[in-house]
Amino acid sequence: MRGTLTGTEWERLTQDDPFEGRAIEAVRSGNAGSYDYLVSKYSKRVVSIAWGIVRNAHDAEDLAQEAFVKAFQNIGRFKEGEPFGPWIYRIVTNLALDVVKHRSRFRHEELTDVEPAARRDSAELGALSGELAQRIDAALQSLPENQRVVARLYLVEQFDHAEIASMMNLSEGTVRSHLSLARKKLKEQLADLYEGSHD
Amino acid sequence: MTDDKFFERLREDARPLQYDGDDFLAARIAARVRERVTARPPTVAQLLAAWMRPVAASLAALVLSVTIGLTWSQQHQEPTPEPGISSNPIEVAMAGELYGVDD
Repeated sequence: MRGTLTGTEWERLTQDDPFEGRAIEAVRSGNAGSYDYLVSKYSKRVVSIAWGIVRNAHDAEDLAQEAFVKAFQNIGRFKEGEPFGPWIYRIVTNLALDVVKHRSRFRHEELTDVEPAARRDSAELGALSGELAQRIDAALQSLPENQRVVARLYLVEQFDHAEIASMMNLSEGTVRSHLSLARKKLKEQLADLYEGSHD
Repeated sequence: MTDDKFFERLREDARPLQYDGDDFLAARIAARVRERVTARPPTVAQLLAAWMRPVAASLAALVLSVTIGLTWSQQHQEPTPEPGISSNPIEVAMAGELYGVDD
């Protein structure tokens, strides 16, 4: 995976990747085998974005698969010279948001299963070993849907405002507004962890 | 701590919450995507073959049943009476008269 790179640093790196451009061109020319390169390069990040929204490993993998297939089917519409990352991130974000909307429509039927599912999904996240990570994750989960998704993309996935706006089909102003509300709530919830710091 | 400073710190601390999956995640997704994107639509020859296959199988079954039926009926047919001695008696002509062997 991308390790400690931020969203912007990662995008800059992918723009400099000559193999990516060649792979896209080859796929557009009908060489489906070249798509492997793009899938292998972006799959972990795409699954992570999906997981952050749907909170279920199986669903996240299915969504990643659907996103890559959808991107392949529409590769003709892809703008030449553009990095593949933002495009596939936008596709998977929209697919995942559709799943969440669909779930909330039938939420009353799932109420009995909510707690065990949440516990299982947190267990899927290996990084949640420390108390700090668990507290942050719980605080993020307590936010309303739009704030939660925007905050997660900003804080966890390290995307900037413009990238999030593009991924969620929102204006940058709306993203900033969601983040501002989320920040206020997160600060209240995590006050005991951060109040002692004076740096 | 200011709001901005808090959010900066939180962003650093939240980074490990990225979902990593298992070691085979990328390979698994690549295989599943590959399977779907390389599945080509059937050619005309494949469509014809798919359509002709049951027709050919039906014809073969028909031919087989007719063959078996014919063979069976030939084997179980009533034997035609052999022309016997009595119906074709040996006759001997002698002095303008015909005499049978059994006479």
